[in-house]
Amino acid sequence: MTKWGMVIDLDKCTGCQACTTACAMENSRLPGESWQDVLFYHEGTYPNVKLSWLPRPCMQCENPSCVAVCPTKATWKTEDGVVLVDWDKCIGCKYCMIACPYGVRFYMDEKPVVQPDLREVFPGDGNRIWNPPYKMPDHLEDRKRGIGVQPPGVVSKCTFCYHKISKAPKGVADLDEDNPETREYTPACVRVCPPKARYFGDLDNPDSKVNQLIADKRGVRLKEETGNKPQVYYLSGGGAPVVPGERSQRTS
Amino acid sequence: MEQVTASTSRRRFLQATGAGSALALGGQTLLPGRESDGTARAQPAAATKIVKNICHQCPARCGIDVYVTNGRVHAIYGTPDHPISNGKLCPKGPLGIYVLYDPDRWKGPMKRTNPKKGRNEDPKFVPISWDEALKTVADRLNALREKGESHRFAILYGRGWGASCAGLLGDFGKLYGSPNVPIGHSSMCSDGSIIAKKATDGNGGYNAHDYHHTNYILMFGCGFLDAFRPYNNNMQVWGYIRGEKSPKTRVTAVDVHVNTTLAAADRGLLIKPGTDGALALAIAHVILTEGLWERSFVGDFVDGVNRFKSGQTVDPASFQEKWVKGLVEWWNVELKDRTPAWAAKVTTLRERDILATAREFGSTRPAMAIMERGAHAHSNGIYNAMAIHTLNALVGSLFAEGGMMYQMSPLYGALPAKAEDYMDEWAKNGTWKQYPRIDLKGHPDGYLLANNMMQEVGPNHLAGKPYKLDTILFYQTNPIWTAPNGQVWEQALQDVFVIDTSPFPSETGHFADLILPDHTYLERLQDAPTYPFEGYPLTQIRVPAVKPLYDTKYFGDTLIEIGKRIKGPMGEYYKKLESSENVLRHLAKGFEKNPGDNGVDSFEKWVEKGVWYKKPYLWRQIRGEFFEWDGKGYNKPMTAEEVKAKLLKTPSGKFEIRSGLLEANAEWIAAKTGRDKTKLMFPIWEEPKHPGGGDLYLVTPKQALHAEGRGHNIPMVIAHFQPVVGGRGEAFVEIHPETARQRGIKDRDWVRIRSSVGEIRVRCRLFEGTRPDTIVLPMEWGHWRAGRWSMAVPGGHSGECTVNQSDRITGQCNYYTTKVTVERA
Amino acid sequence: MATAALARPAFKPSPYLVGAGALFVVAFVYAMYLKLTLGHAGFNTTNYGVFWGLPIVAYDYFLLTSTGLTLLASLPLTLGLRQFDPIAKRCIWLALAALVGGVAILFMELAHPFRALWAAPLNFQTASPLFWKILCVGAYTIVLVLLALTFARGTAPAAVPKPLALLATVLALAITLIAGSVYSMMIFRPFWYGGELPVAFLIESFMGGIVFFVFFTYLIHGFSVDSVPQSTRELLAGSVGTFVAAAIFLHILFAVVRTVAGLWSYGEGLQVWRYTVDQPLYWAALIGGGIVPLVIFALPALRAQPWLQILGAVLVALGLLASRYEFVINGQLLPPFKGSWAPSPLSYEPSQLEWMLLIVGVLLANTVYAALESWSSTKES
Repeated sequence: MTKWGMVIDLDKCTGCQACTTACAMENSRLPGESWQDVLFYHEGTYPNVKLSWLPRPCMQCENPSCVAVCPTKATWKTEDGVVLVDWDKCIGCKYCMIACPYGVRFYMDEKPVVQPDLREVFPGDGNRIWNPPYKMPDHLEDRKRGIGVQPPGVVSKCTFCYHKISKAPKGVADLDEDNPETREYTPACVRVCPPKARYFGDLDNPDSKVNQLIADKRGVRLKEETGNKPQVYYLSGGGAPVVPGERSQRTS
Repeated sequence: MEQVTASTSRRRFLQATGAGSALALGGQTLLPGRESDGTARAQPAAATKIVKNICHQCPARCGIDVYVTNGRVHAIYGTPDHPISNGKLCPKGPLGIYVLYDPDRWKGPMKRTNPKKGRNEDPKFVPISWDEALKTVADRLNALREKGESHRFAILYGRGWGASCAGLLGDFGKLYGSPNVPIGHSSMCSDGSIIAKKATDGNGGYNAHDYHHTNYILMFGCGFLDAFRPYNNNMQVWGYIRGEKSPKTRVTAVDVHVNTTLAAADRGLLIKPGTDGALALAIAHVILTEGLWERSFVGDFVDGVNRFKSGQTVDPASFQEKWVKGLVEWWNVELKDRTPAWAAKVTTLRERDILATAREFGSTRPAMAIMERGAHAHSNGIYNAMAIHTLNALVGSLFAEGGMMYQMSPLYGALPAKAEDYMDEWAKNGTWKQYPRIDLKGHPDGYLLANNMMQEVGPNHLAGKPYKLDTILFYQTNPIWTAPNGQVWEQALQDVFVIDTSPFPSETGHFADLILPDHTYLERLQDAPTYPFEGYPLTQIRVPAVKPLYDTKYFGDTLIEIGKRIKGPMGEYYKKLESSENVLRHLAKGFEKNPGDNGVDSFEKWVEKGVWYKKPYLWRQIRGEFFEWDGKGYNKPMTAEEVKAKLLKTPSGKFEIRSGLLEANAEWIAAKTGRDKTKLMFPIWEEPKHPGGGDLYLVTPKQALHAEGRGHNIPMVIAHFQPVVGGRGEAFVEIHPETARQRGIKDRDWVRIRSSVGEIRVRCRLFEGTRPDTIVLPMEWGHWRAGRWSMAVPGGHSGECTVNQSDRITGQCNYYTTKVTVERA
Repeated sequence: MATAALARPAFKPSPYLVGAGALFVVAFVYAMYLKLTLGHAGFNTTNYGVFWGLPIVAYDYFLLTSTGLTLLASLPLTLGLRQFDPIAKRCIWLALAALVGGVAILFMELAHPFRALWAAPLNFQTASPLFWKILCVGAYTIVLVLLALTFARGTAPAAVPKPLALLATVLALAITLIAGSVYSMMIFRPFWYGGELPVAFLIESFMGGIVFFVFFTYLIHGFSVDSVPQSTRELLAGSVGTFVAAAIFLHILFAVVRTVAGLWSYGEGLQVWRYTVDQPLYWAALIGGGIVPLVIFALPALRAQPWLQILGAVLVALGLLASRYEFVINGQLLPPFKGSWAPSPLSYEPSQLEWMLLIVGVLLANTVYAALESWSSTKES
């Protein structure tokens, strides 16, 4: 069975945020609804200031705490490893947002991040919280999988561009934007990345590039102590600075 | 099942008919895991087509694939087989859709009905027809010409794209009879580097680069991973040279605050603003004293013994120069005393870092030194830039593999008519010829050596010196906002007839008498030869993704239509040109004889593929010898005359450390700047002059999401703008914590930034990564006339504090050099 | 059971009911107006980290007050301690009123509250504490309504069906502990995490329930001490008052132990404890809402004074609201994985709409209770 995973090479990532904007346009997100986000941190005193950054999609955890806490099973995990939100079942309780250690979930009914409010400039029809002219085509939207513009009062999150990857040929090891055969199935954030710092493939396939990269470049998971075991791995240039969690360590 | 079959056969049908680049996507596939309930996808699968276009948000000109479904644009990705984008995009690229559907766009031509002009005056625009609009312009221009005052018409342009828009302006000026058509923005851009390169290697242009093969990049004041163009391609290159290439390319980056470029480099150097030249001189000093220069290119001591010792002069006769001129003289008059220890004091960098950088750069081949405005947007900019560029000569990277070269032009066909054949008596010999340009470019009273001086147009017109303009047309430029101290332009534009062609409301448009709105780029058919990239000629085309949403007109066509209405043979010329599409078809005829590498040999194929290019770059310097491409390799040796004609286009045919261009103008330079005539032709150290009257340097860099600033009304831009300090909705000024503390300023306080020309209020963020003597405020917000989202971003505009000072030699506007005071507001 | 059958009382609307009802209608209309015009943008919760605001605090407060009251009522009804019979009816009625107020607040906060009624049972996500909470609260509501009607018909406490009472007790216990686990199972939120938290919730719930009983006993008698029946007065000054003291004591104990452990450790996520103790509200709740009422209810001489009982009850109730508020909000002040996009700690204060939801809940609860009390012809307790 396919288990979709992502690898992000922090040594190549230039912190440009193209992944963030490509996701926002592919998936018709509001400002502040950062399904994909690049987080910046800095430390140190002048002139020795360390600036670092981290692209953060949904981790699509193997043990998703969001799925566990959802009272109506609106948040669910597909057989191919992607955590999705069924907007017909979500009651808007936001427990999943409380439970997510990685802050990847969004409830867009509150105050707009940017004024004037886009929801008023391009109002939805009650079925959608907004309806911009550049919205993704209707036939790609899917309420049961949290794809497209959401109705009012539900939580949304990164879908690994499920509307694309679910159409990939069965058994393909990687979805690579540089391969014309798989380009249209590749998630937007992976496809757009100029330094090619992002990779997407099947973690259950021994031939996949993602598995090879995790092994060769010592990919790590973030916040191991939560035990959520993300399916997104980070390469940091050779070192393995994060101590792997015992419970999360990959078994052969 | 039925619908799946239907969409499959539709796809095959479209493929069979080969309809453009139609690509049928979507389809009623059942996703695994859950049954489709049918209600979510009530509409049948539609055909999605991909249209080729070029991104508009910075000069890089990345080819883009525009996804259109049911007549709506909903996604933009990089064109996979386009050499600049290669299927990728920077963060601005995907957001281009907002530009098309921006609700604040002008809907059609308008005229002003409120005769008063001012920031707080409502223009009271009323819609008019294109016929009336064009007639108004033509009548005005014809009247001006008949009065014998055609020189008082000016066209100012910013981001011109190619032969079908800005490229038509020169002929317009020639035919009409105005020295002010066109005035380009390059002096408000980066002429500092262009003129410095012209002065040293004879090429007045930006470099093209072979980053893929370089093993060392030394960057001065150019945000390579922030905005340096072609930004998208830079990042692709970065992923390769830092993540895949063997060996890994090493990078040292120099700037005044920590940004992603400095953080991602191997070494980040936080330099005192305006002192990059001192650092470059010290590096050159070390290269010479430690014998690291590239002897095959530079030359060597006759007996091979290195006589370059700190503080000691060298006999020029003892050194045999190869492709450089004036090395030893330079050492003697300037460089011998420019030690790392000296540079450390000037730049406030550590001596050990200067030494390490110099040794790394000098001992790695190939290595290149690049720079842009951070280094040269100062009063000493010409010399900073010359010093940095000379480093490339010292390590032999000019025209070498892994080095830098210059951009070849595309092999276009001829226009439908030659302007020279349509010049009437007035055009050829009218009195307009005795007038200087309004910006005094090329004039000894102004900027003799500059390419343009757009920042002077407003002030000069206001002063009436050399004269007053009658009519100004603006294309892709908004000088009230982008010029330094734009408040002066608000006064200047009071008494001149202003025509603005922007699709969007803007500060300059607020003072317009006539609005002739352009299409946005996704609606245009327009060419764009590449910005300097990898040297080989490349030109691309925008193809409209949708029909124009409003009653707008592509600027190229607006110009042609105006031209048609000018009395005399000029009108005939433009009737011959007919339309911008006709122009493009004629240009594309050049491809018939020179098909692109991707098979583009016609207008139709150009539209289909989006880009024409022909590799390789035709020349290469290999270990001190120059070769031309013979079809199979760089095998044909070039004579010194050929090198002088095609590559090192200086008076001596060599890289002139002793600049012939500057030496030829030494009298003028000395008279206007007081510089020493025995030194002013060499890269020298000179203290920068900082106007403004304050104690902190105000630096206004570009950010990844904004570059040339056309995205200021895009909500996604506003929400992600300054990631380092977390600007989600406003631009912050970065200030060092101790600097803030001394002024009683706390994090996120409102502060007042004041200079001799203006003051603004902005919120601040304390950031350890900013130099204590510098504040950093990106020049992006503070729009008082723009779209609704742009105007809602709180905070003032850095331009209102920026003093209008320019490098007297290059004409480069010194954006990064004003000194301001900061206090709690 | 001759003693069980009393005359069925008539429904007589009291001034209390009319007043509370009118205020409730006004508040409700205004709140709905705000909600309809502003939508969820009228809330001050955001995507940066404070997802649950004052409405959730208020909902939990009312819900756990309700369960606490039911647990208090369990003394006579389930455990058969007849000396507590006088308090049974009021406790159940207050419990129902509090439940209605709390659930109403929740329903005004949730985007799709009615969906929960079918989506939760039909999907049966056993791993989710919130799922069990919905299930139990649903059952608890039915049980409480039945119990309330039983009392409204004039049934004596001893005659209340034992299975029903037992079910109420079990559900009240379960809801309280589950409500604690909603927070306490979040491993990466060490401010909340811990097995002791549901127990602390239980203590607080009991404590909150009792003081509401104390306060409303006096309120329903028009704050005329002499109108309160002797048996009830003795309980208040005696065992019930002592229960309050014990509960406050345990509550302070838990608070202190958690605070000390939180301040002592350098663990990531616990820095919010420093922020918490820097707030005056924390000390107001601990001292004003804890130590002062503890003294009042612990010392027999003070405990016997009705006006001190009322003061103590009000202090505890407000202090509990403050500590619950701090608990829920401060546990969300460290933004999860936002980098420079969010300041740390975040700041939150309730919006006007959020305050209105609390006020609506309070007024609704009072209205419901007033309506229930309007069935008593004689104030026999």
